[in-house]
Amino acid sequence: MANLVIDNVKKRYGDTEILKGINISIAAGEFLILVGPSGCGKSTLMNSIAGLEEVSEGSILIADQDVTHSSPKDRDIAMVFQSYALYPNMTVAQNISFGLEMRKVPKEERDVEVERVAELLQINHLLNRKPAQLSGGQRQRVAMGRALARRPQLYLFDEPLSNLDAKLRVEMRTEIKKLHKKLGTTIVYVTHDQVEAMTLADRIAVMRDGEVQQLGTPQEIYDNPANLFVAGFMGSPAMNFIPATVVTGDDGAMLELATPNKTLLPFPKHESLQPYLGKSLLLGLRPEMITEPQAHKEGQKYVTTTAIEVEVTEPMGADTMVITRINNAEVNCRSNPAYPADAGSVINMMFDTSKAVVFNPTTGERVDV
Amino acid sequence: MSNQTIKQPSKVLNNVLRIALYTVLLTMAAIYLMPFVVMLLTSLKDVEEIRSGTLLSLPSTLGFESWQKAWSSACTGSSCEGISPYFLNSFQIVLPAVAISTLLGALNGYVISLWKFKGSDLFFAALLIGCFIPFQVILLPMARTLGWLGIANTTTGLVFVHVVYGVAFTTLFFRNFYQSIPEELVKAARLDGAGFFTIFYRIILPVSIPIIVVTVIWQFTQIWNDFLFGVAFSGFDTQPVTVALNNLVNTSFGGKEYNVDMAAAIIAALPTLAVYVLAGKYFVRGLTAGAVKG
Repeated sequence: MANLVIDNVKKRYGDTEILKGINISIAAGEFLILVGPSGCGKSTLMNSIAGLEEVSEGSILIADQDVTHSSPKDRDIAMVFQSYALYPNMTVAQNISFGLEMRKVPKEERDVEVERVAELLQINHLLNRKPAQLSGGQRQRVAMGRALARRPQLYLFDEPLSNLDAKLRVEMRTEIKKLHKKLGTTIVYVTHDQVEAMTLADRIAVMRDGEVQQLGTPQEIYDNPANLFVAGFMGSPAMNFIPATVVTGDDGAMLELATPNKTLLPFPKHESLQPYLGKSLLLGLRPEMITEPQAHKEGQKYVTTTAIEVEVTEPMGADTMVITRINNAEVNCRSNPAYPADAGSVINMMFDTSKAVVFNPTTGERVDV
Repeated sequence: MSNQTIKQPSKVLNNVLRIALYTVLLTMAAIYLMPFVVMLLTSLKDVEEIRSGTLLSLPSTLGFESWQKAWSSACTGSSCEGISPYFLNSFQIVLPAVAISTLLGALNGYVISLWKFKGSDLFFAALLIGCFIPFQVILLPMARTLGWLGIANTTTGLVFVHVVYGVAFTTLFFRNFYQSIPEELVKAARLDGAGFFTIFYRIILPVSIPIIVVTVIWQFTQIWNDFLFGVAFSGFDTQPVTVALNNLVNTSFGGKEYNVDMAAAIIAALPTLAVYVLAGKYFVRGLTAGAVKG
């Protein structure tokens, strides 16, 4: 177990800068997730941590030791690859013990370690099989087993679940989380799946175009996104962005919505909106903050009930997504399936702006900070 | 409903087509086998019978004298020891040349595909040009080089020539095969602590069997059948069997002994034939195989 410090790491290929100065540091035992769209540099950053790619600038420290220019084998890390990368000519047991063999661990100790790992991942019965004889989920386990066997200081997971089918992915996700709780290891995990990021991480680094947009706990990232990109990337369905004009109302600066009856929404940090009076800003409101009128929330400070026109509904079982159009933006609302909401009808909905965020539409940065 | 509208070809038509197919296949096989059959028949006849002009008839008596003569006592130029010494010469050239060029090709392909470096694609392109250089072009420069290296007219010299000429092809084969191996395999092994040669030996070579077979067959056939390099760069004692065969056919005291010529030609062709029969099925499989599952 070890902490990891990534200090101003840059990576260039010719003139193109893939990593533009990454700063991340995590404590020992933390589960860090790198998340972002394809091409954001998260895999490059992972390879740089592993030592598979040389960085152009900056330094990487594992357990307070500078490993920026060490070779991969001297960094004491293990990696689980998206394609699993199991050695096709070796049995599962040989795959797991190969790293130990390369580190000149005696045969008896290797056998004990293979047993331990196989026990942990419940793959004892597969030890004598070749990778080609395994299913996707089993290969995934073996790939993790290979990483666990060496007991390295740091684990790297490169989209390990993206080749599994949906059901298995959820199962393995839980399994990885349990494993982390049990072993308390430091893990860096790359994914482009924001649900995986939310469920697994102690901390998330949202990346775009070679830069870290925000580094924080899953809840911080969800509740308090640093900019429009982070807000739109995390959460499913995504956060609603409603262009709204700042006007002066009963509660100071308020945001105006062109619902059937014109609505003014109060805002907790209304002072921060003062400089924008008369201008249009982007109101970010998660779908679960626009619900059917709920008695227990009635009369709360930042709760406003107003009528909207239903465009279409999407029943999801637990909730029904009510889709409407406000100020020319499509808005998702999460309502109780029992609440009547027919397409084309006008119904009352409750807007809770206590956790709303506001962005500058041109820069995409938060306004209310 | 719909399967009623699909017309089933009648049984008769089916059989006719099948017979036609087999007729074509058998005809083609016969055309290709005919020269070999004639060679075999001729080698088993005696000279008198050949002169009577019955090319395709079966020999009146089975005699293996011509085979014996071709192997151990026919004259190739001024010596009369048959082609057996040259047969061994050929093996002495072919075995090391095939082994070395295959190994080098495997290493080159491994580097070009899985350890890409700056300019590795250019390097590969340059190497590919080697596949397009005609043999004749390099005869003189190679003769100078061999002389300068002090290995002219030796078996070592011929091995060297064949390795140099073969590496372009073997590299191409291995490079294409290794393109299908995921780079992550090498990355995983590096993180596991394996070095360049350990990865090659422990992980890459074991999955390379199909392409090794292909390369060995290709190189074996090429080098065994080579005449030009053999005649140009060999000394009197190091001539390969193809050159000896040519000498044998062109050396005659009195009448031409076609039966001995034919026997010698078949003997010279036997090793390549054997390689194809033993490993032929891997050849097609290896050329078409690619993806390494794992």
